[in-house]
Parts: sequence; structure tokens; C-alpha cells
Amino acid sequence: MSVRVDPSLMKELEEFGLKDANKCFHCGNCTAICPLSTPENPFPRKLMKYAQMGLRDKILSSPEPWLCYYCGDCSDNCPRGADPGEAMMVMRRYLTSLYDWTGFSRKFYTSEKFEIIAITIVGLLVGLAMWLFHGENPDMAHARLNTVWPAGAIEIADLIMAAVLTFFLLTNTWRCFSFTMGDLKAKVPLGLYVTQAKEFVVHFLTQRKFGECTDRMQWFVHLSIMTGYVTMMFLVIVLLAGGLEIIGLAWEPIAFQRDVIYPLWHPVRLLGYYATAALLYGTTYALIGRIKKTKAPYKNSHSTDWMFLILLQLTVLTGIFIHFARLLNWPMTTYVLNVVHLMIAVPMLVLEVPFAKWAHMMYRPVVLYATSVKEKYLEQQR
Amino acid sequence: MASTETQGILVVGGGMTGITAALEAAEAGYDTYIVEKNPYLGGRVAQLHHYFPKLCPPLCGLEINFRRVRQNPRVRFFTMAEVENISGEEGNFDVTIRLNPRYVNEKCTACGKCAEACNIEIENPFNYGMNQMKAAYLPHDMAYPPRYVLDASLVESDEAQKVKEACPYDAIDLEMAPKTMNLKVGAIVYATGWKPYDASKLEAYGFEQYPDVITNVMMERMASFSGPTQGKILRPSNNEAPKHVAFVQCAGSRDENHLPYCSGVCCLASMKQATYVRDQYPDAKITIFFIDIRATDRLENFYLNVKKDENIEFFKGKVAQINPDEAGEGLILKVEDTTKESLHEIPADLVVLATGMQPNTLDNPVPAQVAYDDYGFISTLDVTPGIYGAGCSRVPTNVSECVQDGTAAALKAIQSIARR
Repeated sequence: MSVRVDPSLMKELEEFGLKDANKCFHCGNCTAICPLSTPENPFPRKLMKYAQMGLRDKILSSPEPWLCYYCGDCSDNCPRGADPGEAMMVMRRYLTSLYDWTGFSRKFYTSEKFEIIAITIVGLLVGLAMWLFHGENPDMAHARLNTVWPAGAIEIADLIMAAVLTFFLLTNTWRCFSFTMGDLKAKVPLGLYVTQAKEFVVHFLTQRKFGECTDRMQWFVHLSIMTGYVTMMFLVIVLLAGGLEIIGLAWEPIAFQRDVIYPLWHPVRLLGYYATAALLYGTTYALIGRIKKTKAPYKNSHSTDWMFLILLQLTVLTGIFIHFARLLNWPMTTYVLNVVHLMIAVPMLVLEVPFAKWAHMMYRPVVLYATSVKEKYLEQQR
Repeated sequence: MASTETQGILVVGGGMTGITAALEAAEAGYDTYIVEKNPYLGGRVAQLHHYFPKLCPPLCGLEINFRRVRQNPRVRFFTMAEVENISGEEGNFDVTIRLNPRYVNEKCTACGKCAEACNIEIENPFNYGMNQMKAAYLPHDMAYPPRYVLDASLVESDEAQKVKEACPYDAIDLEMAPKTMNLKVGAIVYATGWKPYDASKLEAYGFEQYPDVITNVMMERMASFSGPTQGKILRPSNNEAPKHVAFVQCAGSRDENHLPYCSGVCCLASMKQATYVRDQYPDAKITIFFIDIRATDRLENFYLNVKKDENIEFFKGKVAQINPDEAGEGLILKVEDTTKESLHEIPADLVVLATGMQPNTLDNPVPAQVAYDDYGFISTLDVTPGIYGAGCSRVPTNVSECVQDGTAAALKAIQSIARR
């Protein structure tokens, strides 16, 4: 088997935020101190070596970057300040760009300018569309969003967005899965893929492995952000478009964002509150952490890390404002805020989910699933 | 013009470096004064069992030096003494020296009657606290000067009078008080040596938490016939023979979080200590965990010889964690074999941490304007005229280099006086 060496790999990785990996002198302390590193998948030093040696193909097929949840133990205890934890984070950005066949992700991660322009353009397009396409007779006496943007139209837009987004995310995820499985992909019997599927679900929902890190606080914050966002996506994609009038699946009593104000105990309202609180808590904790550099995972912040947290927090804050404007029955304020809200939330959704940080909600559980399939298969072969 | 008064050389520190510097200068015709904090001369070298690479005890070398000291009227030394102040400049230093009370005068014959009469026990610092000793004590068997010391706790106790009366030579003076003394010298050699890095700062290694985790300096004492186990290497937890001894190299060294530098001697020291274990327990397994083996020039041969021993395994990887095993009897070392990218949990029943050297000037700086390097050693590049760091005050190094450095420092001191 030939191994291709790319001497410029370190330079390439620097564009993704790599800083100190060249300081590594390969003592192995990081790998032996990591609570998640196993004899089957020892990391992170292995990846430091791949980076230094220019082994791009090895990185591409490595599951380890996704087995790491970045507790920071390795970086805290690194005798050389080589910051292996951050190197793993860089690997995740790099892999995200390699999985993405459109090339958009690479641009998004390596150029701050591109990142800002892309988000601004999508935001402006959303604003423009909302300005151009709105209902004939907006209710200026009462705050009723559906009179400005009828539920049916929003649902169609929502569905189109979901379809595009899913297409890119799934095609990229398929590449992620293929790279990780390598030659074994076709060899593993289908049955094994089916029986191990529960791994995907468990890791997706609980990030169980994160709980094995020494600093469990990070797991809690991560779970808050993840469950908050997934709840929001569920409300927006399932319950908003779930009122699917078009295919006759409407179930009005639990549709999201209708002009009726649900009672306080209503499940949709409770779900909204949960998502708001969880996201607000998680993003605030992480933002303060990154500003004050409280722990290893917060010490190095890539522009995409800031963008992610800021967009997420702004989405939540504008959402809260809309909620109060509606309750206070301020029509114009509600409508303007809604435009601003979507100008932030939509770019976040369509750019971050398939091409950037949010994509790891698929990549991580998929790789964990692939790794467990592989391990099971190799175990059976023995 | 230089006066005779300022022709003298003060040597701070009576270890191998200081003794050498003082003797070399004295034998070249200069009056020298050694100021030693401990009650004995010889410093850390006196605490060693063997030298590397020759594997012989350092006591004969020390004996030869003590004889040179005794025979040379130009060398004067003060034990239990510390330099409190240095003022003036090259060629004309005024030095204040504090002499701490020993409570034993020169009539002492080291007969040991005082210790027999004494019941109070204190921790034995010579053995790094591994055992207790009487509060009336000879610091170690070969201590020079061979004179007992009374600990302050004994002097203040009710037992003091009884101990005093036990002395058949009237050598105990309970009224002894600290004194200060002034000296005028032309040049100063600073050789206060080193201390082992505090292993309790290495949290993942559990030193002081698990008794079978010891440091390299403790191992020297354990292997020494005058040590706490009379030379038997035993597991401190149960006083049994170890079956698998692990040496953890770079315990705090070459580590930004601890000592960023390499002390340059710990690899050799561990290999030397592996031979101690090998001599006592031919069947014991020994593993030396290392990042890189640092054995320069002729010491490379020593490394190659140790490597030939099939019971000594060299394992490339820095130990990340030491935990007790499930039975709570042995220890488990978590480490990656970096040559194979494999993760291991290796059992051992005695773990020796190869801690590095820190200059003693960190705790007791030179009481004068002196520059230090990034690691706290007395700077070689930016020297205060007339004050010369030597030995491990200047750079972490081994005994033979210390001897050479002591000689070099003597020459610098002589030049400093002669060129005036």
C-alpha cells in the first residue's frame, strides 16, 4: 500500500486554525491521559503525527477527530504547549471541508471574508424575499404574523429550504461515512449495519461518550445547545411545516407559529421555552468562556466558532423579542423583528447545517456508528 | 591597590562544587572560606549510593577532598552557616554570615551517648524523610566534620538537660545562640546546588498518595547502606521486595507546566538505579519509560551496556497517569508506546519518578545583585563582576562536570582578584 505524503499539509491545516501542532515532540502523554482514547483508537497524538508527516489520506479515514469531544485534558497536560485538543478541533473543521463535495465548506472555514459575505448575502436574500412576498392585507391593529406571511407560503418556503439543506447534508454525510468505512464499506453485511443502527441514535441524542470526559460541565453545556437547537428545528421543520395543509396533514392544535396564542401549559409553548432557555444558557456559557478563555477548549476561537455562537444567540434573543412583541400586541414591532429574526436564523440554518459546525450533528454520530460497525465486523472476523 | 584583606575567596555551598573551588583556589595560594548551610560538607553527593557510569560509591572521593581540606590551612569552613548579606564590589566585598547553633562544640568525639539518652525523634532529612532519627544526631555515618547536632526541638524540651549530662566530654552547650560574623573577601563563588523538583506537584503520578511511588533521590538513599533500609530496595507499602520496578523519566522535566528544561542527569541516574535493582533482585523486571534517552559523549556507552540487560526494558512513551490496581496492591501506569501507537496499562509494584533539578537559589537567592537565566540558574552570560555561579547553581549537571565547574570557578575568582 502506498502512502502519499503532502509536505504542505501543515500549511493547509493552519488555514483551518492549526497553530502549535509543530511543537509536539511525541511523548504520548496526551493519548495516555485522554479518558476517551482506547487501545483500538488511540488519539490524539496519532493525528498530530499525521499532520506533521503530511498524511492527508490517513486523516481522511480517521474516526478519531469525531471520537474527541474536546474536554481539554490533553492540552492542559501537554508538556510542550502543542495543544493537541485544538489540533483535533482543527481536524474536525478540515474533515468537514473534505466531506463537503461542493467546496463551499473549505471557503467558509478558510476565509473570514467569505464567511461574513456568505452569511450577509443569505441574510439579505431572506430579508428581500420577506419584503417582496407578503400578504395583501397585513393586520396593523393586531400582531398577527400570518396576515403578513401566510402559514401556507412559509411552509412551502420551509419545505424547499429543508429539501436543499437535507440534500447537501446527506450527500456530505454519505461521503463522511464512505471515507470512514474505507474498503470495509461493501464487505460488512447489511445485517450488521442494521443491528448497530442504535449506536447512531444513542450518540445523536445523548452524546454519551462526552460524559466520560473528566470535565462533565462541557457535556452539559453541549447537551443544552444541542437539545435546544434540535427542539427548535423540530418546531420549525416538523410542526411548522407539520401543519402541511398542502398534503392534508394539518393538525392545527399543535402547529407552530400560528396567530393563536397558546395557553402557557401548551406543549408547543413549553417546547419553545425549553429550547429558548437551553440555547440561551449554552451559548452564554460558551461565549463567556471564549471571551475569558476559562478552559482549554475555549482558549482558541476560530472565526467560525464566534460566528456560530453569535448567530445562535442572536436568533434566540430576537425570538424572545418577537414573543413579547406578540404578547404585547405590537404589530409593526413584531413584523420587523420577525424579518430580523429570520435574516439571522436562516443563514445559520442553511450554511452552518450542511457546510459548517452544525454538520457535526450528523458526522459525529455517523462516525461513531461506522466505528462500532467496523469493530463488530473485525471482532467477528477474528 | 589590592589589600591582603581582599585577597580572600568566599565559597558559598560546601558540596562537591564548592569544596573543589575552595581547594583549587587554596592550593593556588588563596585564602578561602566555605559557608555551608548543612551541619556537614558534601551536599547531595554525600547522599548518593553510586556514581554513574563507574558505579562506585562517592564516599572515597569525598574522603580525599575532606583530607585535602584538613591538611590545607588556607581553607576554612563553617557548617550550619548561611550568607545573610553581601555588599561592596569586586575585590572588596563585605559579607555577613549567620552561624546557626549546633549546640555541640568541638569537644565532641561522635561517641553517640547523647543520642542514646535522647527519646525525641525527628524526620531524617538526609534520607528525604523516609525514616525517623534521634533529635541528637550525626547527620550521616561519614559526616564531616564528624560531630553531633542537637535539633532545636530537643534543646527546648525537658529532655535537654538529661542529654547534656549524658555527654562524657562536656561537648553540649545548650546556651549556644545564633551568631553573625563579618568577612571581607575579593571574590565569591556561589555553589549552593540544587533540590529535586517537588514530585507532589505531579498530580497524575500520585506521589505521597501511593507509598510505592518514590523519587530518584529517595531511591539513592534506599540503595545506600546508611539509608533507611540499610541498603535494601523495598516497597515502602509493605517492606517487600519489588518484582517489577518502573522508572518514569521526565517526571516534571521538559514540561512547560513544570520544569521546561532537561536536567541532563536523570536518564543516567535511572539507568544507574536500574543496576541497583538488578544487583539485588536478579529476577526483577525493570522498565524505563522515556521520551528520549539523553546520554551524551562517553555516557552513551553506559546506556548501551545497560540496554544489553534483558531484564531492563526501555519503553518509549511518557507515563501519563499512575493509578492503583484493582486489588489495591500494585500500581498501573498508563502510557502510549509511541513507536507502535499503542495504548498500554502496565503494572509495576515500585515506581521511581525521575525528577529533575532546580537551583536552590530559587528559595535562597544570592543576597546581592545577580542575574539569573530563564530557568532560575545563575546567569553565565550576564555575570556580576566578582560573583561566579558554579555547579548546579549555574546549570543542572552531573558530579564530574561539577568538579570541573568548581575548578573553573576557582580560576575565575583568582583572575578577578589578580587583575586588580
